[in-house]
Amino acid sequence: MPDLDAIRTEARRLLEEGLVEVVVAFKAGDTPLHPQPAFFRSADEVDELVYDGLCQNNLATYLTRLPKQAKVGMVVRGCENRSVNALVVERQKAREDLYLVGVPCEGILDWQTIVAEVGEAITSVTETGHDLMIETSAGYQLLERHNFLHDSCKRCIHPNPTSAEILIGDPIAEGDPSLPRSAVESFEARSIDERYAWFQKEAERCIRCYACRQACPMCYCEECFVDHIEPRWTESGATPAGMQGWHIVRAFHQTGRCTSCGACERACPMDIKMTYLTEKLNHDMREKYNFEAGLDAQSQPPFAAVTLDDKNRFKI
Amino acid sequence: MNLILEKQTLQDLLQFWRQDYDVYLPQKLERFSHFMPLTDNCEPVNNEPHNTRIPPKALFLPMTEALVKFTRYGGYEDAKHEIQSRVVFAVRPCDAQAVQLLDTSFIQEEYTDPLWQEKREKTITIGLGCHKTCPTGFCTTVGCGPFNKAGLDAILTDLGADYLVETLTEKGSSLFLTLPEAQEQMVTMAEVIQQKAFNQMPVAFETEYLKEKLEQNFDSEYWDNVSQSCLGCGVCTFLCPTCFCFDIVDETQRRERVRNWDSCMFRTYSLEPPGTTRDLHGWNAPASESATSTSIGSTKLIKLVAPVVVAVYAIARSGWTFAPCFAKHKPCHLR
Repeated sequence: MPDLDAIRTEARRLLEEGLVEVVVAFKAGDTPLHPQPAFFRSADEVDELVYDGLCQNNLATYLTRLPKQAKVGMVVRGCENRSVNALVVERQKAREDLYLVGVPCEGILDWQTIVAEVGEAITSVTETGHDLMIETSAGYQLLERHNFLHDSCKRCIHPNPTSAEILIGDPIAEGDPSLPRSAVESFEARSIDERYAWFQKEAERCIRCYACRQACPMCYCEECFVDHIEPRWTESGATPAGMQGWHIVRAFHQTGRCTSCGACERACPMDIKMTYLTEKLNHDMREKYNFEAGLDAQSQPPFAAVTLDDKNRFKI
Repeated sequence: MNLILEKQTLQDLLQFWRQDYDVYLPQKLERFSHFMPLTDNCEPVNNEPHNTRIPPKALFLPMTEALVKFTRYGGYEDAKHEIQSRVVFAVRPCDAQAVQLLDTSFIQEEYTDPLWQEKREKTITIGLGCHKTCPTGFCTTVGCGPFNKAGLDAILTDLGADYLVETLTEKGSSLFLTLPEAQEQMVTMAEVIQQKAFNQMPVAFETEYLKEKLEQNFDSEYWDNVSQSCLGCGVCTFLCPTCFCFDIVDETQRRERVRNWDSCMFRTYSLEPPGTTRDLHGWNAPASESATSTSIGSTKLIKLVAPVVVAVYAIARSGWTFAPCFAKHKPCHLR
């Protein structure tokens, strides 16, 4: 794990020297499994800053919620850095107004699998290298960390921040690119009926709370298509058509923009799998356009890039 | 009356009820438990001390519910709902009290929501007390408790091999006619368990002068701090057992007027009725003011929207009994 003191020292320096107005990071939550996003505006608050594998949110989602001109410091992992880059490409934030404190990420822990294994009465979680030490009222339990990673973190390719101003801790080994590929291919290998049954099972548990949308840094539209009234794009109720419509179009809008952070799935109160849809789109982007979202802060997503000499003319 | 139900015979009893009722009880779906209808081969009741993911309010106020069916030439008729008599088993006392609290909104002297009322009347609610208390609960602080009886027709106490069944209403008694009466020592044992659970739930905060404190601190910085990390999704309200806001929309392709769960966290909630506020007032929010649903509390917006919200809220509270009056005004998306 990266040195927490080093992260705090850097955050403190940014605020003291006035380089940023706010540092976005995490602080301890009400329960040990849920650190929560926090906004540090003065150096003496920084003692509350925490960073561990239980920090679930993609902090980049707050970039579009903070005032546009604000100078923002942010503690970022690999996926968050890519999300920041993608937002900069889409001109949602000027790169010079950002100061990124990068931490190489060993994967986000899925607290629900920990609860399923140990029970709800957890009083503390300590990460010791490859292990997790879970304290409950009944005593201590040691778990192997890699068994409790979130799905999208198990198949992460780029755990290191790519464009952070400062990197705290040593970069860790890149992930195996065949992992996301094999996840997509094994899904594609199923019959069409099986795939539809899976899609139905997942999508139709939806309660239309839009936690996936709100947790996603790339879902920053002022008005989402589901909120449109004129014209009306989809049923707004929790009906099969409405729920399927939401999941399909939400995924489509991420084409070439999704950074595989998995924040959508982690936010879902119904435990709905949805990265299998965006992973397929990401896979196609890699295979067909050799593009991955957010690797740098300049490259336009293929479907958003327009040039006047485009040999395929834009048609309506 | 106190009766004894052997745990071994519980499944038989549940199946027996199925002859006359739809029986709902918490069952595992993926990682969470939900109230689902009992079938022939059903997993045993999940007896861990936690609530179902979706609270039982959804059994009375479904996420989506048709109110009116449109007929040809501008007519409409009530949507038909066939509600079977049903038993909801293993409801937590807090969830049961929540449903009872919602009655105060849906069943009023002047306005009654017939859809809610019919479901309430046709439902027998059997509670399961919390002999193991949950770490995040604060029921005793807000007038409830691990063995609270409000809103229940009978309540069960887990005694290990048996349940002590305390029937609270006639409806409740009618389900347990075959059970033997509990011996004195069983009742004492249950009381000890109940008292122990109650003691495990100390008062979490002071509720005296709460209203005054909230009013005094209406503009406190605390709200700015606590809302900063809010993403503006609907999870807290949808999973809350007492949040009941809904939105009425016309599903024109299905020729239905439906009500869907709605949330004050949603951006469009404050813009009801959709489009009208902006059209009438020529209002366009500067990007910085409308950047997030959590920042919608700008004074300008509140001044513009508040009267409309109050009107819509009043109509919503009265339920669908007011729905026909909408027909006079063509919904904006049909213009």
